[in-house]
Amino acid sequence: MNAALVLARKEGGELLLGARGLAWLLAASGALSVFGLLLVSNSELSLLDNAQVVYDMAATITALGALLAVIVGSDAIAGERERGTLVPLLLTPLSRGGILAGKLGGQALTWAVIYVLALPYLWAVGSTGQNLAASMVALAVLGTPVVLGFGFFAMALSARLGMARSSLLSALICLMVSASPLLLGPGLRQSAIGKAFDTVNPFSAAVNAYDAIIIDSQTIGAQAASLIVVFIWFGLTLCFARRSFRGIVR
Amino acid sequence: MLVKVEGIAVAFDGAPVLRNVNLSLREGEIYGLLGPNGAGKSTTTAVVAGLLAPAGGRVRVAGMDPVTAADRIHGLMGMLPERSGFYDWMTAEEYLRFFAKLHGRDLGAAALRERLERVGLAPRPRQWIGTFSHGMRQRLGLARALLNAPRLLILDEPTSGLDPRGRRDIHDILIDLSRNHGVGILMCTHLLDDVDRLCRRIGIINNGVTVAEGDLGDLLAAQDCLARFQLHLAGEPPDAGLPAHAHLVARDGERYVIDLDPAVTADATWRELLFMGWPVTEIRREGGGLEALYLNATEQRIQ
Repeated sequence: MNAALVLARKEGGELLLGARGLAWLLAASGALSVFGLLLVSNSELSLLDNAQVVYDMAATITALGALLAVIVGSDAIAGERERGTLVPLLLTPLSRGGILAGKLGGQALTWAVIYVLALPYLWAVGSTGQNLAASMVALAVLGTPVVLGFGFFAMALSARLGMARSSLLSALICLMVSASPLLLGPGLRQSAIGKAFDTVNPFSAAVNAYDAIIIDSQTIGAQAASLIVVFIWFGLTLCFARRSFRGIVR
Repeated sequence: MLVKVEGIAVAFDGAPVLRNVNLSLREGEIYGLLGPNGAGKSTTTAVVAGLLAPAGGRVRVAGMDPVTAADRIHGLMGMLPERSGFYDWMTAEEYLRFFAKLHGRDLGAAALRERLERVGLAPRPRQWIGTFSHGMRQRLGLARALLNAPRLLILDEPTSGLDPRGRRDIHDILIDLSRNHGVGILMCTHLLDDVDRLCRRIGIINNGVTVAEGDLGDLLAAQDCLARFQLHLAGEPPDAGLPAHAHLVARDGERYVIDLDPAVTADATWRELLFMGWPVTEIRREGGGLEALYLNATEQRIQ
């Protein structure tokens, strides 16, 4: 079996069998349950329509996925170094690129678990299953590059800073800044700064595309501008991670 | 020569950690690398393993540069770092299988059992590593380091924190590897007893500089650090005199002070003296030996 795949399987095992991984997944389930309950309550009180709650849930799942990707990514190298497990890995014939590929596999698996975990919540808040397919496609096509991009970014910081806590804090700050459009009012988002920020921000691009696909029933093909932004983000963060992993020393 | 290190220098953030370290290790030899805390022993092993690039000097492992040929060198070496971490959620079997696969080997159940038996972990193949004691972790780390049948084994404090039986077991494994399998072993340790028992050649590093390096016996003789013993007799010694490996230093009535050649133990000498008819009632260590050599070598640099 390919060594990078072996490492990716180990990362997956750590997530599904390790105490920390299970704790994070339980926390994610708890957060989704709370958000789901709030959205269903709003829907029942006719405060939000079906499409709006599904859109809100999709945005929440993306934010939660990115948060977990940042947590897992920050630990990728710095955590291994702090626990003394990095040197044995570096002493195998696995190259730095192979280690990166294995860790990327772990990131992808984390997002896949969150995605699968989120499906019943999306179905539940939509109550009738309406908009479920659109939200699943939007999450897969736009959410995946955004979430993995944040994971790559955190991994790159983890390799460069060497301390899990520092890389986690730095990556979390970047994530919070990127996710701030979720908290900004429409007025602020219409200002010049808000528009400029929306144009380059992968999180905004994904959320705006969710809006268009889930609420306005547009096709995914009509979201070219958003797709370009999120895939540029994905590519840039992957390059950053590759460059950072080349310099890993004990 | 399996490992040749010549005048390497390493600095972290501008602060020199190694300034002039030299060592040479042959196949089938156990080499003891000694030095005070912070002297640069672990950094030296990291350079030899290709985990750090030296700022100066020259390193060759099996004739290759560990920095440019790191992948090839990692294929022929095993290492047990000083602070070796483990995946606590794995069992010992899973852990070894994982690293074997990274080395491109697929270990079957029998091979796994053999690896675990070799380090004394066979009774606990499916126990979580998180529940292992320090000694069991050291054994598992050694099993991991031996997974790819290495020609070179680098061990950083392999017996620290082990009970006497654990230490002896590790010693036996190392002796077997060096004598019967031709493995060259570079061992960093603070435990001079380990070096006395296992190593024929040593290097002492102090403040990033090699202050003594070579054959242990030659170094002890050159530094006037042969192991010194005091004998108490219950009568006159026989005319045959002392054995060839014991040298008289002083005599005061029935009290003799002798130096022993390196690699000769007090027990063996006592037995030989009694066999030769010496009326020895007591034999007591007075000093000298590796401890004196180590203290001399590291003290000189501090002054």
